[in-house]
Amino acid sequence: MLHSKIAISALLGGLSLAICQWLVFAWAPEEKVMGLVQKIFYMHLPLAWWGLVSFATACAASLLCLIRHDRKYDLFSASAVETGMLFCTLTLVTGSIWGRHSWGVWWTWDPRLTTALILWFIYAGCMALRSIPMPEHRKASLCSVVTIVGFLDVPLVFLSARLWRSIHPSVFAANGGGLDMQMAVTAIACVAAFFFIWLSLLLIRYRQLLLSARLDSIIFEQLFKAEQEPAPKTKKLYASE
Amino acid sequence: MLTAAIAICKKDLLMVFTHGAGLAQALLLGLLLVFLFSLSLNAGDRLSPQAAAAMFWLASAFCQVLVFNMLYAAEEAEKARLGLLMLPAPVQSVWLGKAAAGMVILAAAQCVFIPAVFVFLGQKMGEFWTLSLAGILIGDLGMAASGSLLGALSVGQSGRESLLSIVLFPLLTPLLLSVVKLASFGLEADPMLENALRWIGLAVAFDSIFLGAGLVLFPFVYNGED
Repeated sequence: MLHSKIAISALLGGLSLAICQWLVFAWAPEEKVMGLVQKIFYMHLPLAWWGLVSFATACAASLLCLIRHDRKYDLFSASAVETGMLFCTLTLVTGSIWGRHSWGVWWTWDPRLTTALILWFIYAGCMALRSIPMPEHRKASLCSVVTIVGFLDVPLVFLSARLWRSIHPSVFAANGGGLDMQMAVTAIACVAAFFFIWLSLLLIRYRQLLLSARLDSIIFEQLFKAEQEPAPKTKKLYASE
Repeated sequence: MLTAAIAICKKDLLMVFTHGAGLAQALLLGLLLVFLFSLSLNAGDRLSPQAAAAMFWLASAFCQVLVFNMLYAAEEAEKARLGLLMLPAPVQSVWLGKAAAGMVILAAAQCVFIPAVFVFLGQKMGEFWTLSLAGILIGDLGMAASGSLLGALSVGQSGRESLLSIVLFPLLTPLLLSVVKLASFGLEADPMLENALRWIGLAVAFDSIFLGAGLVLFPFVYNGED
């Protein structure tokens, strides 16, 4: 069931991304000042948005894990955090390339950039916690708490971006933002295409973790059985034994 | 719940201030940070108020990690966690008691860090020092709430300090930004106060979030599981 969902989502992602390539490089006009480099924005924006959605999904799954004490929610949360980290990393990389051409520096302490990096650090800490050896149920509880608390910081991330003066471009502001209509349509199409990519990656990782957990339980069962059964008699290798 | 929290707070404070080993370690680390940073200055140089405020809060943040590790390690060392959990009170009273104790210890440590910032980093008290004081109160409350929640997280783990620092410091950033700015207002001769209320609002929002999160999530972190 999960396998077929992944296949459909990956197929839709591949097709929509192919259409987006045409929209980005053939249909959307080239920005007058930045030129071709501006095209990176069509990747940067969806990565940032779906990265954030990924962390929200992880938070919801962690809440369910704490309420229902079901391991599958913990595994889903872990998958969402990992996918979110990938998207957040790519957001920072693409943002940095954009910044180099737009502002002349690879990194500037703009509030939105800074807070994106803080989010990255928060969830990197969460992944570090997950890598520590401890009983699974304890690990699930602790990681769930950190994931939830980490996501509670996200409103402050957005507040800080709005409250403080920022050199970050406003894309979809209340007064229409700074985008041409064709550019806006392309950006929205890219956001939709990246949804399928995000969903595919999330489900693939979730399936991997489910299979890994199942494999672990089978191995433990086998080991337990082997301990219960009497040891089989082995042939003597040497006559003297 | 409050009675149990006050009892835990009293017990922790008594333990820390009578033995004092953990407190001395936290104080020394904070002082060392401020002093070592002062070595980057040339003779007669004065650090900018914002950088000095950042150093003060960085020292406080490291002190917070050591303080909350020390507070939660006390029960672990004596295998008394289960005893604490069997208190006829909600488990949140442990969180509240440890947070209150941690806040008092942190404030006591900051009483030493403040003169160190003036002496080693060449700072002068400005006209709006009350804003800095408000920042310290709000900041300490947020640090206590978050430290008490996440301090319990590293209970029984090897490398507790580094684990807590990795998880806690990124979460503290919004609070640290706010309180650093508020502290710098008190050190500058003529600060730009137009955003002062926004900074206070942000720090209060952080405190509210972590006070709420502590109350709700603490039982999942601090329980009988090893």
